[in-house]
Amino acid sequence: MKSDNQTKFMPEIPANESEELKKNVKSASEKVISDYIDRMKKASKNRPETMQYFDEISNFFGQREKEIREAKKNGKKVIGYSCVFAPIELILAAGAIPVRINSGWYDTSKLGDRVVPVEVCPVIRSTIGAQMIGLSPYFELSDAVISTLTCDGMTKMSEILSDAKPVWTMCPPRMKDSKQSLQLWKQEILNIKERIEKLTGNKITGKNLRTAIELMQKATKAFRRLQDMRKGTPVIMGRDAMLVNQTSLWDDIKRWTEKTETLCNELQKKASQKQLACPADTPRVLITGTPMFWPDNWKVPSLIEEATPQGIIVADELCSSDRILNDPVGIDEWTMEDMINAIAERYLMASTCPCFTSAEGNIDRINWLTTKVKDYKVNGVIYYVVRGCMLYAMEYARVKKVLDKLNIPVYYLDTEYTREDAGQMKTRVEAFLEMLSSRVDI
Amino acid sequence: MDAVSALLMDTMIAGAILAGILAILIWVRNKTEKVSILRLFVQFAILALIFAGLVIGPFTAVQFQPLGTAPRDIAVGKNILGVPFPDGMPLPVLACYYSSGRTVTCPIWQMQAYIFPFWTTGKGWDYYYSTPGIERLAIVFGLVIIMALILGRFFCGWICPFGLYMDLMIRLRKVFKKPHLTLSDRTNSLLSQSRYVIIAAFLIISVVLGAQAIFGTQVVPQTQTDGYVTNYFNAPFCLVCPMRPLCVLAESALGLMNWSYVISHTTGLLAEAGYYITSINVIVLVLVSALALAFRRFWCRICPLGGLTALFSTFNPFNRVALTRLTKDEEKCTKCGVCKRVCPTQVTEVYDKKGGNVTVSKCMLCFRCVEMCPYKDTLKVKVAGKTVFKSRNWLEPSESD
Repeated sequence: MKSDNQTKFMPEIPANESEELKKNVKSASEKVISDYIDRMKKASKNRPETMQYFDEISNFFGQREKEIREAKKNGKKVIGYSCVFAPIELILAAGAIPVRINSGWYDTSKLGDRVVPVEVCPVIRSTIGAQMIGLSPYFELSDAVISTLTCDGMTKMSEILSDAKPVWTMCPPRMKDSKQSLQLWKQEILNIKERIEKLTGNKITGKNLRTAIELMQKATKAFRRLQDMRKGTPVIMGRDAMLVNQTSLWDDIKRWTEKTETLCNELQKKASQKQLACPADTPRVLITGTPMFWPDNWKVPSLIEEATPQGIIVADELCSSDRILNDPVGIDEWTMEDMINAIAERYLMASTCPCFTSAEGNIDRINWLTTKVKDYKVNGVIYYVVRGCMLYAMEYARVKKVLDKLNIPVYYLDTEYTREDAGQMKTRVEAFLEMLSSRVDI
Repeated sequence: MDAVSALLMDTMIAGAILAGILAILIWVRNKTEKVSILRLFVQFAILALIFAGLVIGPFTAVQFQPLGTAPRDIAVGKNILGVPFPDGMPLPVLACYYSSGRTVTCPIWQMQAYIFPFWTTGKGWDYYYSTPGIERLAIVFGLVIIMALILGRFFCGWICPFGLYMDLMIRLRKVFKKPHLTLSDRTNSLLSQSRYVIIAAFLIISVVLGAQAIFGTQVVPQTQTDGYVTNYFNAPFCLVCPMRPLCVLAESALGLMNWSYVISHTTGLLAEAGYYITSINVIVLVLVSALALAFRRFWCRICPLGGLTALFSTFNPFNRVALTRLTKDEEKCTKCGVCKRVCPTQVTEVYDKKGGNVTVSKCMLCFRCVEMCPYKDTLKVKVAGKTVFKSRNWLEPSESD
């Protein structure tokens, strides 16, 4: 809380009420987490053993929280970020811990309704709600939050969150194909670098930055190896892979890389022994659209992979999973200048966020989706949009046209964080999957 | 007898060069990492092949005593089936004519030397030409066009010794951990267009100043009227070329050229310009070296020979049949901009173009972009439609310098 105790947005909640809410939501959340993990275990016949590690790390109130607390006691700073545009390499180079603070709790999204109207996307509402009762350990532990002004929700959320933490905003230009855009974005990166240096007290030297970039490059390598595994016969369920991807948002990235490599080795062995996660003719689904955050937002992937007939998510185009680590920072020469340029380019130019437009619209996303559909031999696409997510919803028409041309069925699934619509959504998803599996048979 | 042994020698040297290129191409194909290192190796290997004369001799038969004991003109194609072609075959790289021991000749020199008066046969180095200039020009242009169609500016990126020098300048700068500068896209494309003006201008100057007489008037006073057909102004580009002093100075330093003889032929700035080296040469070399330290591969952006190779490989109608191509798959590209940033000659077309064939005149086919592209199969190098090298799913960590 700020020193003058005057908040701009947040309602005053009495301490005891807040405590009670937190206790209730936390226990509900822990139940949801373990419930989803149980369901994931049940759905996959040959679940890799290494997934055990990711199951543990996916618990918000477990091992990782303790580690970060411990590191903070030893003087390390924690920097939260709300969007994949935040330059992780710079945070790592300054010796701080990067954590993503978006939340996927349904209960807190209802709390968020007290501040923002229900029309706002639940990602924003839930994050705000989690902050109201101090639920998210990563947000509470972070010393500052980097917020990127991508969509309207993110922009205003950064204002609202600034009630509780110092929020550093970064403004990505809305178009990538002009020269000024990159200059602006580079300046934003430099500003953030200065702020990180000031907060941590560590200067980001060329050597540190290089180590950080190489660390992230290794993570990308492991990440891509895992995605490549999903291209062939199904050896890992989509939900498992998505969970692995998402844990990289808060796990220690070095350990995460090692564990992912171990997982890939295990999967390779499984693939050679033909121990498949599900029958080889299971319809292959790609999910795209609004980011899905652990844990409550796991609803749709679970529906797909637990439905009868079953589907498998072989790929996704979500900034909460596939886009986190997909693009590496490509360095030409290891000078500070080039490293900063490379970081600026990697975060801006390679992004396929729908907040961008150009002379040809968001053609990068269309191309990327087309490639994925072909590479992963996708049978059908589920276009997932939560209510209030304008950018993704408005791009649907174009994506559908492109996919129609490729003869790939696409299903528009609009939902909320709510758990109540699971039943009727199950019917819709099953109908779609049935259609897909009949196409697979042909 | 002599012709047969010369032919045998030619075949051996040409065979060695071809085998070298072929072996390297096959190697590149299976090699998936650190292309930059591989390229450096190839450049050094080809440097050795181009100046193979210095290595293989014959040291016993000194062809030109005053210049020193190193052999001159172990030229490939010195004697094509008994027809004397004393300056040898051209390779579209700056393999300087004036230095000792080279196996191939710079086509820029040959073009200037043969273009006027093109009806005479005249005397070349060591012996007389048996063909008039126009035929020799046809041979040179023909060979350059054929090679440009086969490999294009691969010559610039991988084979040219001066390209190697430019790359060494980059490495020198990296030692001092200094960032490079970038030209604006406009300046860069102006520079690349200036190449054609440069080459046209020098060919015209060669005709005007190199001619013994135009309409009975001797243009430059001290041009020789008979004997050796070239005077100093016959090859005016060589008076400014930065490669000539580099070769001559290097060989003089190694004791392969007689420095006092070289310097005795250098008697003025322009009017009595030197045969082996001029002050302009040295000034250009120093300038180009300094600029190359600031801007990557500076010379390659204005090199008229590179322009010529590009002319015969990337412009219509040549680009329809050119064999070596850089292609891009637009669907797989996320426009991350890495290719644009790592390009040593600041080619923007690979990034900007929609896909398909993205080989442009500015591109020297060094494949740095293909090496650094982080998206699988997006950029591909194709030779005759067959992919020899493509971008990988992962970029290898850059070299540690």
